[in-house]
Amino acid sequence: MHNFDYTQLVPSYIQAFEAYYPSKPDPELMRLYGVDHLHRLNNNENALGPPPEVAQVVEGFTPMAVPVYPNGDCFDLRQSLAERFDKDPEQFLVGNGSCEVIASVIKAFCEKGDNIITADKTFAVYEWVAEFSGFEARLIPLKDNGFDPQAMLDAMDRHTKILFVCNPNNPTGTYWDRSTMKGFLDAVDNRAVVVIDEAYCEYVENDDFPDGMALVEQYPNVVTFRTFSKMYALASLRIGYLCANAEMVGVIRRTHIVYSVNTLAQRAAAAALTNDGSFIRATREMVREAKALLCPLFDELGLTHVCGQGNYLMVKVPVSDTLMYRKLMTQGIMVRTMTGFRFPNWIRISLVQQPVMEEFCRVFRPVMEEIQGR
Amino acid sequence: MKGFDQSVSVSLAADIAWVPLVQSVVEKWAPVCGLDDSKTMMLTVAAEEIVVHLARMAPGTQVRFRLEPGGWHVRVEFSFKADASDLWAMNLVTKTDTQEEIDHLGLLVASRAVDGFTLGFEGDTLHLGLRKDRAYPVVTPGLIQPVETRGELTIVRDPEPELIKVACVKALGLYPSDAVPQAFFTPGKVVDMVGQKDLEIAVATDRSGALAGMICWQAPSEQGISFSGPYIFTTDGQAGDLLTKHLINTVARTRAMGLFSESATTSLPTEDFESLGHLDLIQRDGKKSEQGVWYRHLREDMGASVWAHRAYAEFLEAAYHRQILMRDLKIIEGQGERLPERSVFSVQLRPDAGKATLFPMVTGGDAAECIARYVEMLHREKIFNIFIRIDLAHGWQAAMGKAIMDNGFVPKLVLPYGGKSDILVFQHA
Ligand SMILES: Cc1ncc(COP(=O)(O)O)c(C=O)c1O
Repeated sequence: MHNFDYTQLVPSYIQAFEAYYPSKPDPELMRLYGVDHLHRLNNNENALGPPPEVAQVVEGFTPMAVPVYPNGDCFDLRQSLAERFDKDPEQFLVGNGSCEVIASVIKAFCEKGDNIITADKTFAVYEWVAEFSGFEARLIPLKDNGFDPQAMLDAMDRHTKILFVCNPNNPTGTYWDRSTMKGFLDAVDNRAVVVIDEAYCEYVENDDFPDGMALVEQYPNVVTFRTFSKMYALASLRIGYLCANAEMVGVIRRTHIVYSVNTLAQRAAAAALTNDGSFIRATREMVREAKALLCPLFDELGLTHVCGQGNYLMVKVPVSDTLMYRKLMTQGIMVRTMTGFRFPNWIRISLVQQPVMEEFCRVFRPVMEEIQGR
Repeated sequence: MKGFDQSVSVSLAADIAWVPLVQSVVEKWAPVCGLDDSKTMMLTVAAEEIVVHLARMAPGTQVRFRLEPGGWHVRVEFSFKADASDLWAMNLVTKTDTQEEIDHLGLLVASRAVDGFTLGFEGDTLHLGLRKDRAYPVVTPGLIQPVETRGELTIVRDPEPELIKVACVKALGLYPSDAVPQAFFTPGKVVDMVGQKDLEIAVATDRSGALAGMICWQAPSEQGISFSGPYIFTTDGQAGDLLTKHLINTVARTRAMGLFSESATTSLPTEDFESLGHLDLIQRDGKKSEQGVWYRHLREDMGASVWAHRAYAEFLEAAYHRQILMRDLKIIEGQGERLPERSVFSVQLRPDAGKATLFPMVTGGDAAECIARYVEMLHREKIFNIFIRIDLAHGWQAAMGKAIMDNGFVPKLVLPYGGKSDILVFQHA
């Protein structure tokens, strides 16, 4: 043991890579910040909780189900997904959150010297997984807060294996409409895989939003990601999936860990799909109301904000975002700082029920007044 | 000469018989890494003195001796099992009156022959590192006039050496010398530091390719990044904002927790930062000035616990309260435990700015006395801006609080995550 120098075994791209440290558990944060409650407005969770069909499954989950391994490749859930989207079960691959399928796709297509292309200001996991796997992530600056299709095409070369498009984008809420998406896919012309991450698609109500499930049928190189963490409120169960043509899914499966999705998650996800849509309507209504409350407040305070699709919005504050985070934490409100998204001095706020949003406004206004009056 | 490990390691016993070997390894190796003859000789003397010292104090101990090239410097590291306070003579100020002190004279010679040393413990193994810098030509900057910006500004990625050197000279010509890193006086060294990734630089140019500004930063610890600048070479301040945003976005997804100013200029967009307070500086000409210290957290702060001594606990509490940083203070109580007899400090000198910063390496029973001797020596050298920085991650450093304050130092500010944990900066009042 003594002379084992493990650092010599660590590849340089891992040595240079920083591990992601998730935040501390709520009770610990509450103790530190001296508050008796904490509203998490940092992870874009659906505060309404899961649909009632899921509640039933969770309550009915017996201890006797615990010793038994889950189904290794989510057989039943894939049947449900196939029925729901009118596809073949072989077109789906389910993961421990869609984060897991991001890794599976990168492992399936990239080898030494390859690159992936995505935006500089988007969900960070595409970039992270590529980099800690030793592949270059080409980060294309957003244009007008949206992904820039032409610049992404221009950045492609023969080593480009995957283009990641977050639609709608986290954190800006912008999206490519149907014609932009099709124009882009036509221009990629099957030279690389295009991942369309639709983590927040259920929040989009506009008619011109392209349906990744349909695109999978029209373009053999398209892989669509969805998750049960956001709209369906199953974040703690960790379940998400990808959909593509069956042959490509067969290839990605080879790099994917079987048994990574637990039984409760599989059953809850299948139950969530049986909801008649009333749950989604209620959530959208909640988000609409929250936007109607927050946007006028930011306007009144003269703050620039970006409020697009999704259950979140961003606002630029006149101090560092990390200081604003600490100020709000002392009042029991937890937001997401955006320095790490390369939006310094912006914060992102998840949109939840009216009473919490009202509390946010009550807390935010005096904090801002204190800052502006300094 | 790049791309693979070119260090040399030798394992030997602490014995006078090995001294010629150590001498010749350093003598033959250092010039290959770029040290000139006189610097090679000084490093050789330093290495030799350490082996002699160990042979006398701990004969037969196994010593691992390693030489590492560092581009702009070379480093020699000794690792051995020892009691750190044996190295007390490494203090630059050690007197040489008593027989014991004369016995340690060799170490004093060693410490004065190098440009920096570090001392670190790993279990009971002590790592003693000596750094010797290469010689570079020193520039004497002339007065420079700022120019007008033509067209849009852009950041130059990986600026080439010529651009870096010009930027250093411009910064020296436009800013007082205590507002720029000392290395700027030797632009060749800056280029080598950048090549070694020991310093990072971003420059902005206008459409005509003319230099509009620069900013530089480095990571003194795993969690903290310190920066100097932004230095602006144009009549308008546009580049300040651009360079600062570039710096923030570049370090935003690294392992760093915080970004703080080493020497911030007035071109810094302060709304992006939090004020940590200021240091009072006395210029060489006797004029007084204040140096503001600015900070920016790069992540959501999850709180921490730090060691603290009663002597400055109240100051810490007030500072943390003002900065809204959640910290559990663990108060240190001396319980009569035995301390190493002697303390060790390393010192960073900026004679041109009349500035010195002490870093504790070993806390011994004589800490207060040792600090007093430092102050005396520095005052004699006309150095009046004297600072001590302690890392509150380490109980033994935090425990020094009283010895420091009894010597006329006052706590000035806290650098969150400036070291292993927060750094408390004391200034001699
Ligand atoms: C755009 C986007 N994609 C994917 C995910 C990952 O979701 P999960 O791994 O919970 O399915 C998130 C979560 O924040 C996201 O914002």
